[in-house]
Amino acid sequence: MSQLSLTDVVVGFDAEPVLRGITLDVPSGALAAVVGPSGCGKTTLLRTIAGLVRARSGEIRIGQRMMATHGIHLAPEKRRVGWVPQDAALFPHLTVAENVAFGLGIGTRAARRAARGAEVARLLGLVSLSALADRLPSQLSGGQAQRVALARALAVSPEIVLLDEPFAALDPVLRAELRAEVRALLAAEGVTGILVTHDQAEALSTADFVAVMNDGQLLQFGTPREIYERPRDPWVAGFVGESNLVRGMWSDGFVECVLGRVVAQWGGASTAVPVDGQPVTLLLRPEQLVLGPAPTMPAAFSATVTTMSYGGHDVLVGLMLADGTRMISRVVSAGALSAGAPVTASVSGPALAFSPQ
Amino acid sequence: MTEHVIEVAAPPVGSRRPPPALLALAILACAVSAIPLVYLLVRVSGGAPDEIASILARPRMPALLLNTVSLVVTVTLSSLVLGMLTAFLLVRVRLRAQRVWIVLAALPLAVPSYLAAFGWLALIPGMQGFWGSFFLLTIVSTPYVTLPVAAAIRGGTTGLDDVARTLGHGPWRAFWLGTWPQIRPAALAGSLLVALYVLSEFGAVALMRYPVLTTAIQQAYGASFNRNYAAILAIILVAIAMILVFGEQRARGRVRRQFGAVTGVSRVRMVSLRAARIPSYLLLAVVPTCAVGIPVSVLVGRLLQAETLRELDVLSLGQAIANTLGLALGGAVTAVLLAIPIAALAARYRGRVVRAIESTGYLALGLPGIVVGLSLVFFSLAVIPALYQTAIVLTFAYGVLFMPKAIGAIRSSVAQVPESLSDVARTLGYSRWQTWRHVTVRLARPGIMAGAMLVAVTAMKELPATLLLRPTGTNTLATELWARTDVSAYGAAAPYAAALVLVASVPAFLLSGARRGRTDEVPS
Amino acid sequence: MRVSLAIAATATALALVLTGCSAPQSSPADGASGAPEGDGELTLYVGRDEALVAPLIEKFTEATGIEVTARYASSSELNALLFEEGDNTPAEAFLSQDAGALGSLSNAGLLSKLPADLTSIIPAGFTSANGTWLGITGRARVIAYDSETVDAADVPKAIAALTDPKYAGEVAFAPGNASMQSFVTALRVLDGEDAAEAWVKGMSENSPVLTEKNGETLDLVNSGEVSFGLINHYYWFEDAAELGEDAMRAQLAFLPGDAGGMVNVTGAGILKGSKDDPDALAFLEYLVSEAGQQYFVEQTYEYPLLPGVAAPEGLPALDSLVNPKLDLSDLESLSQTQELLAKYGLL
Repeated sequence: MSQLSLTDVVVGFDAEPVLRGITLDVPSGALAAVVGPSGCGKTTLLRTIAGLVRARSGEIRIGQRMMATHGIHLAPEKRRVGWVPQDAALFPHLTVAENVAFGLGIGTRAARRAARGAEVARLLGLVSLSALADRLPSQLSGGQAQRVALARALAVSPEIVLLDEPFAALDPVLRAELRAEVRALLAAEGVTGILVTHDQAEALSTADFVAVMNDGQLLQFGTPREIYERPRDPWVAGFVGESNLVRGMWSDGFVECVLGRVVAQWGGASTAVPVDGQPVTLLLRPEQLVLGPAPTMPAAFSATVTTMSYGGHDVLVGLMLADGTRMISRVVSAGALSAGAPVTASVSGPALAFSPQ
Repeated sequence: MTEHVIEVAAPPVGSRRPPPALLALAILACAVSAIPLVYLLVRVSGGAPDEIASILARPRMPALLLNTVSLVVTVTLSSLVLGMLTAFLLVRVRLRAQRVWIVLAALPLAVPSYLAAFGWLALIPGMQGFWGSFFLLTIVSTPYVTLPVAAAIRGGTTGLDDVARTLGHGPWRAFWLGTWPQIRPAALAGSLLVALYVLSEFGAVALMRYPVLTTAIQQAYGASFNRNYAAILAIILVAIAMILVFGEQRARGRVRRQFGAVTGVSRVRMVSLRAARIPSYLLLAVVPTCAVGIPVSVLVGRLLQAETLRELDVLSLGQAIANTLGLALGGAVTAVLLAIPIAALAARYRGRVVRAIESTGYLALGLPGIVVGLSLVFFSLAVIPALYQTAIVLTFAYGVLFMPKAIGAIRSSVAQVPESLSDVARTLGYSRWQTWRHVTVRLARPGIMAGAMLVAVTAMKELPATLLLRPTGTNTLATELWARTDVSAYGAAAPYAAALVLVASVPAFLLSGARRGRTDEVPS
Repeated sequence: MRVSLAIAATATALALVLTGCSAPQSSPADGASGAPEGDGELTLYVGRDEALVAPLIEKFTEATGIEVTARYASSSELNALLFEEGDNTPAEAFLSQDAGALGSLSNAGLLSKLPADLTSIIPAGFTSANGTWLGITGRARVIAYDSETVDAADVPKAIAALTDPKYAGEVAFAPGNASMQSFVTALRVLDGEDAAEAWVKGMSENSPVLTEKNGETLDLVNSGEVSFGLINHYYWFEDAAELGEDAMRAQLAFLPGDAGGMVNVTGAGILKGSKDDPDALAFLEYLVSEAGQQYFVEQTYEYPLLPGVAAPEGLPALDSLVNPKLDLSDLESLSQTQELLAKYGLL
């Protein structure tokens, strides 16, 4: 049973819809990340689920409850969704505890009263902020503010929590820490989460499911592994990670290209499986290009190292083939490589082939 | 949290339609503020077309128009410059007794222009015509620029100036690139208030014998008993006001609040005066001295030398003070209630309808009090005759007259409440109305209070509409003052003048923001 | 929000209290002494100074037992107000600073016709021609001159002389002022349209100093900024009372027999909306009674219009002035005067 279910949701005017028919099912208790370039509609999707934006058509359900259908619109305050915005949006006139208590009654006075209750204490403990209960938002760090925002959202026992780029303004270390914390918290509370982020790595590493959007459409929805390893097209592949695209010709489970004869799988729509001799685009992840003297491999080619980008745990090596084609390869250790050095490279594992763009 | 510019993500177009309830309330408020305009149109439509044409063709008309426009333009520009300089000195400079200077800068608001003119003319009888009016209106209206600009500088950041300096620009250019964009909306809103105020001003220009449209309107009522003529002149004022309002809207453009982080602390770097110390203090002293010090002391001097010093009736003075306070407070509340829907709409939504509603809200401010007063006589007799000449209609009149003064302050304070706070409240179970009440209004409260105080201080000084609409037999400080200056009995007028200035100083003090204390100082 | 609600509540309460306080107290009519049909109450619009009229009203109440509620504002504002109110006006009588305001109300049919035995008390030329309003006091037009620079003997005996180029920039007057306009009307009636136009043209070309009010005109003469000012006589007496006669640099020249020395009147009328309340009539009768007339003479130095009451000292006799040939409230004539002034850029 899916917890959140969207069916053909359209938002915006006819001429320029912001969401062009989104259909999506997120299982109960899962954390789903929504990624896409700026302006693709991912924040609007989140606001539409929360009820802050009205859908023009389509259906939205949370659990068994209908949120929107045929232009009928359930007000956001009746949806029981938690909302954690990018800027944390803590009420500046309330203390940390009062912020957390804000949804437990209507008005500042109710919040003040609820702030002294056990539930608020439990939530503050959950986000490890018990010591800061009486601080004002202006006295908090960015990470602390986001934790308060999360506790505040959880206070009303939502069935689903919507997180709109909550880690965007944090530094990388804090970000990773908080990410893990949020994930654990949501899991512990058994709450379904939707996380909008512009950071693909964050999406792939944190979420149970990833939704890739572009131009108001949902391009692909799946587990991080599916998205990374079985992208539905080269654009999705390129968006969720580095990729090399090579033109070639389909030949019965292989692709003939500048790299030689590469083992390939058809990645496009099943209705369009190519026939031999048909031109295709071949997708290779950088880690599929193995460097070094490995003459035994079937598809090996020579190239020159052009750039080296040191990333700590791995190195991205820029390559140029004899015909000028540029590629990148990811290696665990650069070894003795340096710019200008000749290398031999080979392809590991099957590559994905798509119809040429 | 570190300081950074938060991009306000442009929300999708389709969802940006204002809620019907807000739109309806704003249209209602707008209809109320259009009462004077409707009245004028009714009056003008009573005149024959050739009569209207002959009135417009009067030889004096071009001169009246030119005088009016040149006074509006020059006073607005000089108040803008003087107000910005004052605001800069008040906020960005290390001053001795900063709070005192802040209060002094707001104090001219407490002095009615006719009183200031009276004082100056008693001192320099020859101070008349354009230059006298220009001088006087500039000094009394400078606080309309000083206060919002000082608030904008206080709430902004000098970080952008610093960036500009590192990019190789001089301090003036850095100010232009860094600070000006932050204070521009406040400066424009203040200038609009000044321009509309000058347009509608009657008391001081009449005393300074500078013929403008408002004095011609007064003459039309006073000598010609020609209501149509007066209405046509008033419609010209409305047309000028409309041009000013549209001009301000265009100049304000699409600037939205983007400066200063939501959770960050605003940083204002203080400047030391060094060699500019004496000229700076002098500059700060000019406006309060000219607008408050000199006229008030001249009037007090007159009090001491007058031979016909009448016995001061303490009871009636007390009654007048109480009436003044009550009516001004009632007017402020009415004005704020009318201004809130318009300001909220203008702060949160755009589009042609929103712009039209906002501009209509401002129009009454360009009209002299007698026209607005008569329009409410017309309105209340037609709609609610039972309330005619009661305090309720008078406070309502204050609301219509001065609601525009509250719009700007409320609009900018609502615009400064991040919309993400409203989103959060909605998802936490607050209805639209509860969100508005417990979040937006709660956080915009300083601006709403400022708007109320601005209305209160103006209503206390208001005369022509008060004379027409006050309950028969009810006196305010302004009417008592008027009753005593009419027979050039300066001596008898002085206690009322002093009481009026003192009472009006209270909202002026609250408006100055001196109570809120010093700016968070950041070492430079 | 709580604070603002509290303020709203307070303000509303205050407003209500104010309304309550100011509502006319409905004291029962003093049965015996009042007129039989009167309700013992009178609502009055007063276009004159409160400090002047309030004590007079007190005397009236003392004498008659009629309670008066008065609204004070300038005559022009009250005139505009009465027009706006029409038949709905709460006012029963209007005491005006000038005849023109009464004439305009009369023309619009807003004034009741007064009984002939009342209107006949006041000599013709000082009251309405059609019996809709009553002249109360007179105000002579005079030339105020700067006694430090002008010899009393050199002051022109007629205003026609002021168009002489030697007085260029030396004459101040308030063309928008009702008394001034009445005087120009008088000039047209008495000396003919051509002479009047020649005078207006001559003055407009003689760099006049234009003011808003008579009081300002007198201030200019008193401070020596101009040599002559065209004003009403009593302004001088008021200033003299305030500042002391010795402090008066300006002195007055009266112009008997000249249009420039005509007399404007203050007057009163009864509004049609009053349903002919006898209390209103009683007030008008009181104004032209000996007691009422004496009060004005003492307090304002204006001419009493009731024959037999002595004028203030130093004023030329009322019958030496030109008024009997004029209808002071003839508004058609007034609008022609305004057109004339406008034609030469004075309005």
